[in-house]
Amino acid sequence: AHTVLYITGLQFVLKLTPHTPAASPSVPGQEDIQAAMPVEELDPSHYPATRAAKVAEHFINTRYGSPFAWFGSSGVKKAGLEDMGVLGTKYHIEFTLKEMTRNQDMGLCSAEVLFHRADERKPPQVQCTCSGAFQVNTSAEEEDLYQRLRNATSLLSGSDIPNSVGHIDPEMAPFWHLGGVASSFIMLRESNESTLLNMAHIDNFTQMETKDAQLMFQYDILLHDMVSQEILKWKLLLSWSPDGGVKVLEAEWDPKCQAIPTSSILY
Amino acid sequence: YTSSLKYQGESHHSIYNWMDSLVTEYPNLVSKEHIGLTYENHAMYVLKFSTGGSSRPAIWIDAGIHAREWVSSATAVWTANKIATDYGHDSSLTSLLNKMDIYLMIVTNPDGYVYTHTSDRMWRKTRSVNPGSMCRGVDPNRNWDAGFGGPGASSNPCSDSYHGPYAHSEVEVKNVVNFIQSHGQFKSFISIHAYSQLLMYPYGYTCTNVPDQAELDSVGRSAVNALSSLYGTQYKVGNICRIIYQASGGSIDWSYDIGIKYSFAFELRDTGRYGFLLPASQIIPTASETWLALKHIMEHVRDNAY
Repeated sequence: AHTVLYITGLQFVLKLTPHTPAASPSVPGQEDIQAAMPVEELDPSHYPATRAAKVAEHFINTRYGSPFAWFGSSGVKKAGLEDMGVLGTKYHIEFTLKEMTRNQDMGLCSAEVLFHRADERKPPQVQCTCSGAFQVNTSAEEEDLYQRLRNATSLLSGSDIPNSVGHIDPEMAPFWHLGGVASSFIMLRESNESTLLNMAHIDNFTQMETKDAQLMFQYDILLHDMVSQEILKWKLLLSWSPDGGVKVLEAEWDPKCQAIPTSSILY
Repeated sequence: YTSSLKYQGESHHSIYNWMDSLVTEYPNLVSKEHIGLTYENHAMYVLKFSTGGSSRPAIWIDAGIHAREWVSSATAVWTANKIATDYGHDSSLTSLLNKMDIYLMIVTNPDGYVYTHTSDRMWRKTRSVNPGSMCRGVDPNRNWDAGFGGPGASSNPCSDSYHGPYAHSEVEVKNVVNFIQSHGQFKSFISIHAYSQLLMYPYGYTCTNVPDQAELDSVGRSAVNALSSLYGTQYKVGNICRIIYQASGGSIDWSYDIGIKYSFAFELRDTGRYGFLLPASQIIPTASETWLALKHIMEHVRDNAY
């Protein structure tokens, strides 16, 4: 993917072009290197495996998430660590996946999560395959929501999702899921071996005018990093349509009056 | 009495009023002790469950040390009511309270808790002023005298894991330390947090095993089996340093190092979907399943005097 970065004062703006799937590393002789490196077995309940599974979870959401499909890992079954030398560290994990909006078990997934060396400042690379009937059938609900928004006379907005006591209005739930899926794009890019990121709160979202088929939304969200315990404020511009899926067009971190978490330094 | 409380998101005044009503309803079992004031001069109260005696061995449970973890205090309210109502009816709990006292602190960080209501639902720390900094507050679970200032805590006052200028700098922490030390008979120290669905034992400040690793792990696993039996909720068990992260200055490391063997920390529901904003519908299920784990730990403490 191509990224352009502007730095103005304390604000970092990340412009993302349409998402392309993570490619396998194409270093010559890579296959040989992979075959030669031993995989050290990891305790699946310890944090290195948990953090790698969270990254895989974010990856799955960027590929398959929608206002009606939001995925979460429900437990790591097996984990291994492969030292890739100059390339970084690769985790091999098997974990169970859940579609969270319906609390539906999606079966077992198998992923490789490559964290590059810290000095390279590259996002992790993920390959993932899931067994069973992976794709959830949400086309009817998606089309229904899409048409309702296209035909509405005013632009939609919402705030404080979930509220302080975890309540979400049923009409707002798809926009909660949409925010979660869009946040996964950012959380995937921001992840390393020392982070465990979740979307903590949607401060507000606003539908934007568009001329093309995609619906567009501006979201103000809070992410939580379990490792540093920091709350990270992000502004996202995202698009969605049933055909186009979820895409993050622009993302901006708002540091405000907070410590700069080591896990979240942009370049 | 608990039907008058929504459990979660109550003001600390409501919780304190409710505590008084619990004491009034169960005067032979429950009393309230004032253990000191917070930075902003709020009272710190602990509920004492006791059937008499003097200097009985005791169990300490604290909730809400991190302000935004509302489900922790909500679980503690439910638990307090559970202990009061089950005494005399549940044979195991009754035998426990006939030998030991239980101390339960529902809001361990009142200043922070108030701030999550008035200003910032995501506040974690105390509200002390940090000289020379715009940022307030110290992470009360990095401020204990156990590997203080080591890895896994920040020296930046603006950080959510700021350890503070020195160990026990936070009056809230100091009050608990003083109370535990003067009491002198605590056999278990359990701290309740959210979220991640974990039951952990020391250490956080180092990944070295504690001498009692095998026993604590076994007790933890049985406790989690009991928890899971209710709704199938999955928890992980292990020492803090390996399960979640290396973190210095934590309360259960301190309690273990002063000789309180049965030191545990819970991270309650969920695993990130709602995070700190757990819905009301999950409070009672969370408290109910956690009670089974707490009970198991307390029974082990009762049956393994030291």
